[in-house]
Amino acid sequence: MHAFQVWLVAAINAHTPVADLMRTAWAWPIVESLHFLGLCLLVGVIGTFDLRLLGLARRVPIAAVHRLIPWGLLGFAINIATGALFVLTEPDQYIYNSSFHLKLLFITIAGLNAGTFYLTSYRRVFGPTALLDAPARARVIAAISLCAWIAVIICGRLITFYRPGPCFEEATSLLLICAP
Amino acid sequence: MNIDPFLVWLESTALSQWVVGSPSMFAFPGILALHAIGMAFAVGTSVALDLRILGVARGIPLAEMRRFMPILWTGFWLNAVSGILLLIGYPTKALTNPVFYLKLVLIATAMVLLVRTGRRAFGEAAELDASMSRLRRLAIASLVCWAGAITAGRLLAYTYTRLTMSH
Repeated sequence: MHAFQVWLVAAINAHTPVADLMRTAWAWPIVESLHFLGLCLLVGVIGTFDLRLLGLARRVPIAAVHRLIPWGLLGFAINIATGALFVLTEPDQYIYNSSFHLKLLFITIAGLNAGTFYLTSYRRVFGPTALLDAPARARVIAAISLCAWIAVIICGRLITFYRPGPCFEEATSLLLICAP
Repeated sequence: MNIDPFLVWLESTALSQWVVGSPSMFAFPGILALHAIGMAFAVGTSVALDLRILGVARGIPLAEMRRFMPILWTGFWLNAVSGILLLIGYPTKALTNPVFYLKLVLIATAMVLLVRTGRRAFGEAAELDASMSRLRRLAIASLVCWAGAITAGRLLAYTYTRLTMSH
């Protein structure tokens, strides 16, 4: 994994036109603001749906709340795009950052969890026999979703406190968390 | 009005020095993380309400959106508390920066818009039809205010002129 991380940082090569644009006076703060807006859209919409599955506003059909989801996906797309701009500009600050590693892990968990929802609960939640209350499995998935996205926010916010310094000795962790 | 003595005093308090100086991840980094979580639920839920007013997910009875408002208010108060702690940590950084006051004004405006929206959206269905265009204007203004507040908040890290009184 260490060799892969080193290769990745070199491959991204921070001197691309994108990186040069990101280093202009206001580009970084503006893209950060967009990343925060995308985060609100994502967590606001997905969180609202998760809370409905958990029993909030139970008189509202679950399928009706689900109509909001494309806007949550838009928030996710905004954040993949803006997040990629940060990584493409300062690759070593992210590829060697333990908080960023954890953030990616929690995004993966949230994604697999959402996939599980559509694979296992879709028919029971949206089908013709759908009930006012989501089945227990869907509730567990909703709770995992909320926790995973909150963990993503925490890890994202903490990235700046885990900036990698230079490596002084042979790293023994699974992933490199210092810049060789 | 010279607030410098007040800033010097505030920065000398134990709470301020804990927020800024403690090596614990529960101090400054933890408070920042809470501030981001509160933002996500306050602004995110407000945005979900605005989207519903603007025509997304019409299957949700508008009045039922009120069930999600406690989430919004929880996020708001979480951010009021975490924001005050961050302000106690770096009072000079915020209070000497005009962008900070812009952020506060935008948040206050967004919350006033929310209360007005709630009065109309969660009221009787009969009076709702007549006020739908007014509700849409409130929703668009709300989205603009939140986008501005978030941008102003993010810019605080780049636009301050004094970090602390001793700097």
